[in-house]
Amino acid sequence: MLNTLRLSFSLKNTYRVNAILHSLKQIPLLKRLLPETLYQVRGLKVFANVLTALWELITIFLFKYLYFFVMVCGLELVRPELQSKEAFLHVLLLLTLIGSFMHTNMFDATRDKYYAMILLRMNAREYTLVNYGYYLLKGIVGFLPWVLVFGLGREVPLWLCLLIPFAVAGTKLAVDSYSLWDYAQTGHVRNDSKLKKWPWLLTAVLLPLAYLPLLVGAVLPLKVSAVLWVLCIPAGLLGLRQILLFRYYREINQELLAGLFTQIDAVQKAMKTANEKVISADLTITSQKNGFEFLNELFIKRHRKILWRSTLRIAGICAILCCGVLFFMTIKPELKADINEMVMTWLPYFAFIMYLINRGTGFTNALFMNCDHSLLTYSFYKKPKFVLRLFQIRLREIIKINAVPALVIGAGLSAILYVSGGTENPLNYVVLVCSVTAMSVFFSIHYLTVYYLLQPYTAGTEMKSGTYRIVMVLTYVGCYALMNLRLPILVFGVACIAFCVLYCAVASVLVYKYAPRTFRLRT
Amino acid sequence: MRFVIDHLSKHFERKEVLKEITFTFEEGKIYGLLGRNGAGKTTLFNCLNRDIRADGGTFFLDENGTPREISAEDIGYVLSTPTVPEFLTGREFLKFFLDINASSIQNLRSLDEYFDMMSIAPEDRDKLLKDYSHGTKNKMQMLINIIAQPKVLLLDEPLTSLDVVVAEEMKQLLRSQKDGKITIFSTHIMDLALDLCDEIVLLSHGVLEVVEKSNLDNQEFKEKIIAALKEESYA
Ligand SMILES: Nc1ncnc2c1ncn2[C@@H]1O[C@H](COP(=O)(O)OP(=O)(O)O)[C@@H](O)[C@H]1O
Ligand SMILES: [Mg+2]
Repeated sequence: MLNTLRLSFSLKNTYRVNAILHSLKQIPLLKRLLPETLYQVRGLKVFANVLTALWELITIFLFKYLYFFVMVCGLELVRPELQSKEAFLHVLLLLTLIGSFMHTNMFDATRDKYYAMILLRMNAREYTLVNYGYYLLKGIVGFLPWVLVFGLGREVPLWLCLLIPFAVAGTKLAVDSYSLWDYAQTGHVRNDSKLKKWPWLLTAVLLPLAYLPLLVGAVLPLKVSAVLWVLCIPAGLLGLRQILLFRYYREINQELLAGLFTQIDAVQKAMKTANEKVISADLTITSQKNGFEFLNELFIKRHRKILWRSTLRIAGICAILCCGVLFFMTIKPELKADINEMVMTWLPYFAFIMYLINRGTGFTNALFMNCDHSLLTYSFYKKPKFVLRLFQIRLREIIKINAVPALVIGAGLSAILYVSGGTENPLNYVVLVCSVTAMSVFFSIHYLTVYYLLQPYTAGTEMKSGTYRIVMVLTYVGCYALMNLRLPILVFGVACIAFCVLYCAVASVLVYKYAPRTFRLRT
Repeated sequence: MRFVIDHLSKHFERKEVLKEITFTFEEGKIYGLLGRNGAGKTTLFNCLNRDIRADGGTFFLDENGTPREISAEDIGYVLSTPTVPEFLTGREFLKFFLDINASSIQNLRSLDEYFDMMSIAPEDRDKLLKDYSHGTKNKMQMLINIIAQPKVLLLDEPLTSLDVVVAEEMKQLLRSQKDGKITIFSTHIMDLALDLCDEIVLLSHGVLEVVEKSNLDNQEFKEKIIAALKEESYA
């Protein structure tokens, strides 16, 4: 057992260290300074080891802290009067339930599992159980301090605080043992990277149940939550027994990891087949257009599944949420003032939401994997005028794709603003719609421009640009930082529109100037 | 027309892959570029196709004594692994290509004539390219590069993984298309090179050199090439 733990640790570590060193090498400036023999330098290895150890600590404590701060107690930041021990326990319980079937270590198809169980043929049961045990333990240890800090601060009884981390582990054990049982019965392997419908459906039901009752003051009473929490413990124990008795770990992992890669060098190949699968096989799809419009139309139509379906789904969800808020306001008119104020000052928040729902990376990824990856090897495709022509067409498409949810959100916000009491300055409505649309246009242009200027992939569809990764992280950080900004609609909206226009101008100039040279395969 | 490479060099870190290559290719000939694995054949092609930047040196076309900068459309490059846009059918890909290049293609023919030329079966023509076999993908890629009529056609180990029939068809095709262009064909399979090529060029120690056939018979010629290639491992 200990040996397995040690082995799996060192395996994970080696893999992470090499990944860190590899990405260091991708940063343009560092690349020149670092020697080819990087992987043999001891000092750097130690440094990378320290980084991975730090990462482990961060995942143990910091993420759990963020979880409590944002997810469990986030609503209190906005409405401090909602703070109560009942509310705390209620939200935590429902989120825990969601977590139990949405994510667990056991059904996560990861590389280190692949290396260990498939390539190195380690004992699957032992490896799975040891890592699973470590994962649960990590969860308990990470939970304990924060549940004490946040829970005791809200006057949750100490014994319950101490029990909760174990109860959380209990729900995971229970649900995972159910999944194992399900496998034994039906042969279906749960895969957390490819969740089926019902976990999403269940989440869609439970997530509103976690937060909405707080607003109407209908949370579970302390006694009920306490009983439910306590019940998690025997459920977990039963699960644990089942998990220990389960015999088909190798079979499950074979299936779980088979989709990951077929062979170690075939990582890209597996990725490619996965990408090819999204191409619609419907041969009735045709196009009457010519040249690049022809290419584009066929691409969009045959990739409808990944390009349009998800964007329509997001738009639908946004519409439902907006309607929900509108409905909510009609039954609870006293909340109107609050909501009005929120809409008036929370626009920066939507920069982050737009970031989350924009389809930029999905689009460029599909473009590369299923189109540019092959066409870039033909010299005709690289002629500057063709590169630019196609850029324009694609920009139009991605703007269209992103605009749908943006317009829904813009319209929804305006409606909410209107119903919640309106505003003296009607310009606010216009700015609201325009700025949300501008944000979506910005993300469209941003992702496509960065893709054309940095073209991060090699012919083997391997991502090979540190700059690209840095830009992506910076985008995220920027949008995240905007969340903390509270500005009136007019100020932020106009600033946002101005920024987007400026950015578009700069981006077009850059693309026209550089894309013919930068838009090619990396080697 | 001649294709001139002048002092082209390329290194990765401390490894010098191409060392000041200087060579002149003549129009109408097929060159067999022989080299051991890792000799730098692909690297040379990538440099010529400007996929990677060379460290130094130039290459240009020499048309009747006047040198001319090479533009993207002068070079056709067929990679060793066939790459075709998977979401199109063969017919759509060809149509797209002809659409956007209509102005520059001489004696345009119908789509099916082109397919016939490559002996791509009628039932394959309207399938998605992702469902093509390796050999047929290769034919598609070759077809596009042949229609484009580049001045210089680079083929990186193209026939290595084809079945005998397809390989033979490709050979015929390359022979029939060699006039008016320079075909450079990299391979590590010697019989193929001897069979198809007018000149054998060796890439070893980062330089190109012609292996003169002079008056040797095939067997002696083979031995000479092998001897030259072997030297490298003791270098
Ligand atoms: N991107 C690269 N980075 C570092 N070394 C490379 C790179 N590409 C090729 N090499 C090295 O250059 C040499 C020549 O490779 P290549 O041109 O692929 O050979 P060939 O095609 O003749 O088999 C090899 O030793 C290879 O390791
Ligand atoms: Mg090669």
